[in-house]
Amino acid sequence: MASDSSPIHNGGPSSPDDSYSSPIDNTFSSPGDANSRRRRRRSSTASGYATPPPQHSRFAATDATPTPSSTQSRRGRRAARATPVATPTSTDEAPPSSEGGEGDEHDEAPPMFVWGTNISVQDVNAAILRFLRHFRDHPSQAEGKYMRAIHHILEVEGESLDVDAHDVFDYDSDLYNKMVRYPLEVLAIFDIVLMDMASRIKPLFEKHIQARIFNLKTSTSMRNLNPSDIEKMVSVKGMIIRCSSIIPEIREAIFRCLICGYYSDPIVVDRGRINEPTRCERQECLAKNSMTLVHNRCRFADKQIVRLQETPDEIPEGGTPHTVSLLMHDKLVDAGKPGDRVEATGIYRAMSVRVGPTQRTVKSLFKTYIDCLHLKKTDKSRMQAEDPMELENGSGDKDEDAPLDYQDKVEQLKELAKQPDIYERLTRSLAPNIWELDDVKKGLLCQLFGGNALKLLSGASFRGDINILLVGDPGTSKSQLLQYIHKLSPRGIYTSGRGSSAVGLTAYVTKDPETGETVLESGALVLSDRGICCIDEFDKMSDNARSMLHEVMEQQTVSIAKAGIIASLNARTSVLACANPSGSRYNPRLSVIDNIHLPPTLLSRFDLIYLILDKADEQTDRRLAKHIVALHFENPESLEQDVLDISTLTAYVSYARRHIRPELSDEAAEELTRGYVEMRRRGNFPGSSKKVITATARQIESLIRLSEALARIRFSQWVEKRDVEEAFRLLEVALQQSATDHSTGTIDMDLITTGVSASERMRRENLLLATRNIIMEKMQLGGSSTRLLELLEELKKQSSGEVHMNDLRNALATLAGEGFVVVHGDSIKRI
Amino acid sequence: MVGLPFDCLANPLGAVRLTFEKAVTSGTDPATFDGRDWGAIDLFREFLFDKGGLSKVPILDHENVRWIEPNSLVRFRGMVQDMLGNEFYVGAFKDGSTWRTNKFTDVASFPMGSSSEVKVWERRLLYCIPVPAQNSWTQAIHSETVVNRYKNQTSQHGEKRHREDDAAVDHMDSTASEHEFQGSPPLSKKMCEGTLPSWTQESASNSSKLSMIPDFDQSSLPCLVKIYDLLESDLKLNDVFDFVGVFTFNPELAVHMDESDEFSNGVCEDALVHLPPSKVPRLHCFIHRKLGVHDFLHSPPITEPTPHLVRGIRESLLGHLTAILGNDGVAAHCMVLHLLSKVHARVDTVAVGKLSLNLTGFTKESASIFGNQLNLAIQNLLPFTRSIPLTVEYLNSASIAPRKDYQTDRLVTGVLQLAEGTHLTIDETQLKAGTLNSIGVENVRLLKNLMEWQKVDYDFEYYKMEMTSDVQILIFSEGKSNILPADLVLPFRPSAMSSCENKGTEVLQAWRWYLTTLRSMPHSIEPEMQKAIEDDLVAARQANRSLGSQDFSRWLAMARLMSASFGESCLSLEHWQMVKELERQRRERLG
Repeated sequence: MASDSSPIHNGGPSSPDDSYSSPIDNTFSSPGDANSRRRRRRSSTASGYATPPPQHSRFAATDATPTPSSTQSRRGRRAARATPVATPTSTDEAPPSSEGGEGDEHDEAPPMFVWGTNISVQDVNAAILRFLRHFRDHPSQAEGKYMRAIHHILEVEGESLDVDAHDVFDYDSDLYNKMVRYPLEVLAIFDIVLMDMASRIKPLFEKHIQARIFNLKTSTSMRNLNPSDIEKMVSVKGMIIRCSSIIPEIREAIFRCLICGYYSDPIVVDRGRINEPTRCERQECLAKNSMTLVHNRCRFADKQIVRLQETPDEIPEGGTPHTVSLLMHDKLVDAGKPGDRVEATGIYRAMSVRVGPTQRTVKSLFKTYIDCLHLKKTDKSRMQAEDPMELENGSGDKDEDAPLDYQDKVEQLKELAKQPDIYERLTRSLAPNIWELDDVKKGLLCQLFGGNALKLLSGASFRGDINILLVGDPGTSKSQLLQYIHKLSPRGIYTSGRGSSAVGLTAYVTKDPETGETVLESGALVLSDRGICCIDEFDKMSDNARSMLHEVMEQQTVSIAKAGIIASLNARTSVLACANPSGSRYNPRLSVIDNIHLPPTLLSRFDLIYLILDKADEQTDRRLAKHIVALHFENPESLEQDVLDISTLTAYVSYARRHIRPELSDEAAEELTRGYVEMRRRGNFPGSSKKVITATARQIESLIRLSEALARIRFSQWVEKRDVEEAFRLLEVALQQSATDHSTGTIDMDLITTGVSASERMRRENLLLATRNIIMEKMQLGGSSTRLLELLEELKKQSSGEVHMNDLRNALATLAGEGFVVVHGDSIKRI
Repeated sequence: MVGLPFDCLANPLGAVRLTFEKAVTSGTDPATFDGRDWGAIDLFREFLFDKGGLSKVPILDHENVRWIEPNSLVRFRGMVQDMLGNEFYVGAFKDGSTWRTNKFTDVASFPMGSSSEVKVWERRLLYCIPVPAQNSWTQAIHSETVVNRYKNQTSQHGEKRHREDDAAVDHMDSTASEHEFQGSPPLSKKMCEGTLPSWTQESASNSSKLSMIPDFDQSSLPCLVKIYDLLESDLKLNDVFDFVGVFTFNPELAVHMDESDEFSNGVCEDALVHLPPSKVPRLHCFIHRKLGVHDFLHSPPITEPTPHLVRGIRESLLGHLTAILGNDGVAAHCMVLHLLSKVHARVDTVAVGKLSLNLTGFTKESASIFGNQLNLAIQNLLPFTRSIPLTVEYLNSASIAPRKDYQTDRLVTGVLQLAEGTHLTIDETQLKAGTLNSIGVENVRLLKNLMEWQKVDYDFEYYKMEMTSDVQILIFSEGKSNILPADLVLPFRPSAMSSCENKGTEVLQAWRWYLTTLRSMPHSIEPEMQKAIEDDLVAARQANRSLGSQDFSRWLAMARLMSASFGESCLSLEHWQMVKELERQRRERLG
């Protein structure tokens, strides 16, 4: 009864405040008023049984609940009668346990129990009162949390009190259990207690306050709702897929006699039915069958039926999502709209299905629904603020779990981040079935995490996105890497250069076929704003389209001036492009530029350019062969390595992108400066034939971005020295691969307008010289061949610094180019 | 009553009730029956399998649906097309002092007083359809038995009804519990005066029922299967099952559904509203069994497949395919391997074991000749086949992926909702230059995903759900298909046009058996052989740098299939050599 508070009269979606100011309100008593007045009147005459049982007012009245209705009304009556008994004063100081109140009961009426249980109504009443009065978030607070809330509600004339079930549990777990197991009864008592408190605080307050419970300790999966949950309080998570239109439900009907014009008393809905008076009640009239419903004097409440569906991550493999209906009343109507992810708390109810409307016989079936008490939109912004289109990414959905799960998840991620080898582990987890290419994967990892975008007050902005270009032979799994990154990245767009036009990548203006209006349509780059735009076959792209990329890659915007639309769209996207060498295979005798026909201006906008060359390395081939044989003939599960699964990886990346904003530490800044200066100085290396521009401002920006990304990988708020060092290493590895002039075996900065070590070139030249000398000494012209390893040993003996196999190979390649030696796999022959 | 078991065929519910009563009288609390069986399933299991009752159970299909008595035992073969969630029902209730059960029925067998004690149980609803793309020859056997059965039924019809009448009368006094289950006129006598007037009248008007049954489309009789006491993981979407259970079909119930009150309408506004009992028969399942492709063959499996026998069948099949393919032996070899392929495992996104085949070099004319012939041949060989003529119009208009319709709360099936082991032929020769709209682009993407990963994205409007599939894909095209990259690309070189003679059913059956059985052969590889293969792969890569992991993967898949095609479970060097030779011949053509 107490809960029957809907203040909406006309069934429309008008807010309660509107209705209060409306003239109708003066004419007709507000429903809550009417109800409470009646309640008080009746309780004063000690005939509490006349009040409608709570179930029929608060929850959709149907006589088809599986529990026999007779018992329900009895229950309701008892609960109602309990009100005057459990006066708050008597139990005010009782210890905080619902059993503790027993002592008081002797003085009062005999104890009443909720039907079929040993739960005493008085106990529950007292426990609720204690909870409301004494619960405090923090012991230091003077007034209880809910007392404040009640005062607030009284002030704003609200109608519901949100009660955090965690609070109830923390204060009195026994009450919590009772509430979850017998929600109908306990909530009825809850509402009564609230009413009493309200009228005590503000005697003239005549609206009803409903308790809306939310945030239960456990949330049930929709799939696991079973008959034992019926009539229990449950909390389910899901996605709203459909909302019905708002159904006005009659609550109180008024009839008028057609003959004498007499208006009947309001007739309250009883178990879903209105008993139409068969005759006029006025003594003078008493006409039969003359009563007609007066629609605009009846009281209606809003009702809406909402279908909730499981979120994709809860669906087991090979299953389809389950759905459940939610019944929303009053304020909850239109609280959610299709597509929203929500957590609904309510009472799981079942209703039997009749064979026909006129028959009492029921089919043995039940329809189930949840009588919704509280609807909470699951906050999407927690992890995916940057990635509102996360929906496509199934693995990302897990992050939207309830706070508890979310916290757990975050803890797990943080735990993961603490591992010393997290950088290596993530590298391993990235495309685990692509072999080798560790440095490329590290670069891609940095791209995924990204640096910090910076916007200065002056309006200048620095991008945080890292652009990567992969150049390499066909069949070196470049495309697979691209696909993988595309799957991982929050908002990836995958496109092929061959089919992309400039407008397709950026934005274009079209005429809407129906209205004739010009519309701006976003292209791939704009669509992947804050994501990664993967462009395959970059070399096949038309020059026109490529030139569009200049702006995007540095300014991060797309400007359009066309058909009367002048716009600048954000395209804060990282570009991951891959290109094949122009002559299908990479020609080591040509420069990078000649191999990939890309303008240097565009190339310089890539932070990292990797050359993925197919090295004729037997070791790699054998690993590949082993892997594939194992894939086909062994239990594939046994192949699992120590890698993070893709969902964890995604969560890790999105958490880092969202929450970690690393800043340069002084030490790191110093190192950056030092490294940069050194790079510049190398260009002026004395003795180098020409002065080369080795490093530009672009390089230092790249380095900063890379080191920030590296700090992010560790979930570190500070960019440390080692991050900067690793960033230098990554940049050098990438440059060494791409900026090596293969005709001389040296890195030549002029290949790409930016550069790296002229000292490296010196080193190489020295090595080349040393190698040449050794070969001259040790090997005869046209004599027997020498093994590569022997040569390496020899070199190591002679030179003081470290000599790598790769350096040697490069040197030999140069020598071979000069026609000095012939290299056959592992063996070298002088000619 | 002890000695006389119920007629499990005609009155399965009687048997259910009998066992229930037995269990209750033996002192078990009915509440404990929630989610488990009390002996009824055992009874049916015994009847069906130990006593050979299975062959007597009629198979429900579009032809005989109107002849099968409601509440009798039927068998339904179908694919789980949609899952409609769980349904709560009054499993057991107290009628006076005795416990009754409603398990395996839709309608309460006894009036349930509102005060009676009830136990609510749950069951799962599955919407099943006949396996899509099923070839007619798999149904031939069913039709035969159905026809026989149907003949028996019609001839016995009057007589049978009579007997039931008697039985009902006989038992009426002794067992007050029996008469409801007859589902035929006698029960109305007693029930009419009581609480179930309209229902009983309806069932009494059995004779008028025939006119009310909607005509089922050929081969598209859906069935709503209600499954009891089952773990969720046992059943998956797109699995094919054999269900045995109680058949109910009440065209009359629908009349009332429309008028139910507003509230229940709102809440029950779900799939069931759109699947009224008048349109879709119900089956309360006792026993279900997952079916594989091989279950759709009707010759008794060859008991002892000797290597010699298998070799023989292989040779004859190869000959047959060579003839159909215009004497192109290489193509025939590839075709055999292709027809035996199957997804064996999934590692990350890679589906191991698939082998899609792209026959290139078709022209319009040769496609119409050889393509059609091949299509026919494949239809005759495999139980489930489907072919898609790939045109721009088709791509732009067809809905090939299943889609969730939230208005009806149903999964609307698409061309790509296929059972495991279905064969899909895509004819790309008809594709002309044209513009794809967004549907077309999406469809191409779906087809490509299916080719590459054997996965189909089901459209749930707010998100996509990836479903794994196992479909053999064959493509005819002029040049190498770039839209649909197949594992094996082979230029087709027919040299002669041979007339395709009709093979005897025996030969056909042997081939069918061969293809379906060898497909699921276990496979292993000895360590020495592994070493040899690895060496071969490394050497091949050293020699030709353009070979990648995809090529190796294909070789190994082919090796497995080659060895399976000889009925052997262990890869031998000989078969590996054959694969290499085949690959060499193929490369020659490509080059």
